[in-house]
Amino acid sequence: MPVVKGVSLEVQQGEAVAVIGPNGAGKTTLFKAIAGMLKPRSGKILYQGARIDGIRHCDTVKRGVVYVPAERELFPQMTVLENLELGAYTNYKSRRERLEFVLRLFPRLAERREQMAGTLSGGEQQMVAVGRGLMAKPSILLLDEPSTGLAPLFVSELYRQLSRLKAEGLTILLAEQQVPHALSFSERAYVLENGGIRLFGKSADLLGDPEIQRSYLGMV
Amino acid sequence: MIAILVDGIVQGLQLSLMAVGITLIYGLGGVLNLAHGQFAVVGGIATALFVEAGVNPLVACALGILSAGVFGFVVDRTLLLPAYRSAGEERLLLGLLITLGLSFVVNGFLDYKYPNISLTLKLATPSFSVAGITVRTASAVAAAIAIVAFILLFAFLKGTLLGKVVRSIIQNEVGAGLCGINPGRIRTLIVTLSAMMAGMGGVVQGLFSSLGTEMGNELTSFALIVAVVGGVRSINGTLAAGVLLGIVNAFASYYVGAYLTLIILLGTAVFTILLRPAGLFAYRT
Repeated sequence: MPVVKGVSLEVQQGEAVAVIGPNGAGKTTLFKAIAGMLKPRSGKILYQGARIDGIRHCDTVKRGVVYVPAERELFPQMTVLENLELGAYTNYKSRRERLEFVLRLFPRLAERREQMAGTLSGGEQQMVAVGRGLMAKPSILLLDEPSTGLAPLFVSELYRQLSRLKAEGLTILLAEQQVPHALSFSERAYVLENGGIRLFGKSADLLGDPEIQRSYLGMV
Repeated sequence: MIAILVDGIVQGLQLSLMAVGITLIYGLGGVLNLAHGQFAVVGGIATALFVEAGVNPLVACALGILSAGVFGFVVDRTLLLPAYRSAGEERLLLGLLITLGLSFVVNGFLDYKYPNISLTLKLATPSFSVAGITVRTASAVAAAIAIVAFILLFAFLKGTLLGKVVRSIIQNEVGAGLCGINPGRIRTLIVTLSAMMAGMGGVVQGLFSSLGTEMGNELTSFALIVAVVGGVRSINGTLAAGVLLGIVNAFASYYVGAYLTLIILLGTAVFTILLRPAGLFAYRT
C-alpha cells in the first residue's frame, strides 16, 4: 500500500513552501522520497530540470538537496563541531566559511562547540541538525518537523533564524504540525491528508480559510 | 608474577588487534565476522609462504599482512554483498552464515593445500632484561607492533576526516547518509583495514610461538569474547577488554592450566556482561 499517492507539488527557487497535515498523513514519506531515501513506485521527482528519483541518497546531497529529519539523526558521541564538520562532507573545502556562517546563525552552538551532541538539550540538538544541514551548502533545505519536542520559546527563535535564511535566498520545503508558525513563515502551503493533497494555495489565504482554521488552528 | 603480567598484557594486545576488527566491522557493517580468525591465519600463512620462498622475513611479514588485507577486500566486495543488501536482523543473520561458511572454506582449503605449513618467526636475540626482569624479545616486538597499530588507528579515527566519517557511520548510519556519506565505500575500506590488523595478529602469533593453519576458529573465539566484553561498538572498550582478558588468560594458564583457561575467560566475559550488559565502556544515547 503506497503511503503517498497522486501528490503533485512544486517549489520555486528562493521560495519557502510548507506542507501541513496531521500525523501519518505522509509528510515524512514525501520528504524521504525527495531526499532519495525512498524510491517512489511511480511518478517523477524533478530538480533543476533533472530527474532525481531513484538516484542514491548520498548523490542527492551532492546536488544540494539536503534533508533534516524530525529525528535529527545526530552523532551523539561526537562534538558539536565534529557533527557540523561532517555536514560539510560533500564540500569539505568550504567548511570553515560554512562553519562561520552556521555559528553566526546559532551563536549558542559556538558556546557548545566542544560538547558531545548527545548531551545537548532538544533545542540545541535541533540547531545542530539544521546547522549540519546548512554546512552542506544546500540549494534546497527539506525541514521535517523542526519544532518537534521544542519549548515554545525555542520554536519562535528557530523560526526567526529560518526567516533570516529565507531572506538570504535559501529555498526551503517545510513539514510542520505547528501550523500557525508554518503558515506565517512560508509563502505557499499544501495540506496533506491521508497521503493526498487536500488543499493548497498562498499561505496567507490558507491562514484565513475557515476549514483550516477549524481543523488546524483550533478556531471555532 | 610480573613476568606473567607482562606476558598477559602483550597477549591481550594481540587479542585486541584482532578483536578491534570485529568491533569495527560490526559497528560499521552490521556483520559479526565469524571468519576473523581466518583473516589472521591467511595473513600468517601467507607470511610463512613468502618466507619459504626466500623473501626477507620483514618484507614477508608486510606482504603477509597485505595479503590478509586483499583477502578482506575481496570478501567484502563479493561474499558480503548479499548481507549488505539486506538490513537489520536479516543482515546480521545472513552475515553470520556467510562468514561461518567462509571460515569452513578457509579451514578446509588451508588444511588440504598446506597441511604442513606453519609460521614460526625466530628473533636473533631471544630475550633481554630490563631492571632485573627478563623480557622475551618476541613479546617486546609484539607489544610494540600492537601499540603502534593502535596509536595509528586512534590517530586515524580522531584526527582525519575519513576517521571521523567512520565514527559517524558507527554512531548513526542514517545521519551519515544525510551528510552525503556513502557507507558502502567506507565499509570496504574498514573491512580491508580490519583484515590487515587481523593479519598482524596472525604474524604476532607466529612471533610468540607458532601459527598453524588450524588456528582460525580458536582465534575467532578469543577475538569474539574480547569484542563482546569490550562492547561491540566501542574501540576503547575493545582495547581495554583485550588487555584485561589477556592478563586473566596468562594467570589462568599459569595457575590452573590451559584446559580450564577458556572456561575462565568465558566466565569473565559472562560476569562482565552481567555487570555491564553493553560492554565495558559502552555508551547509550
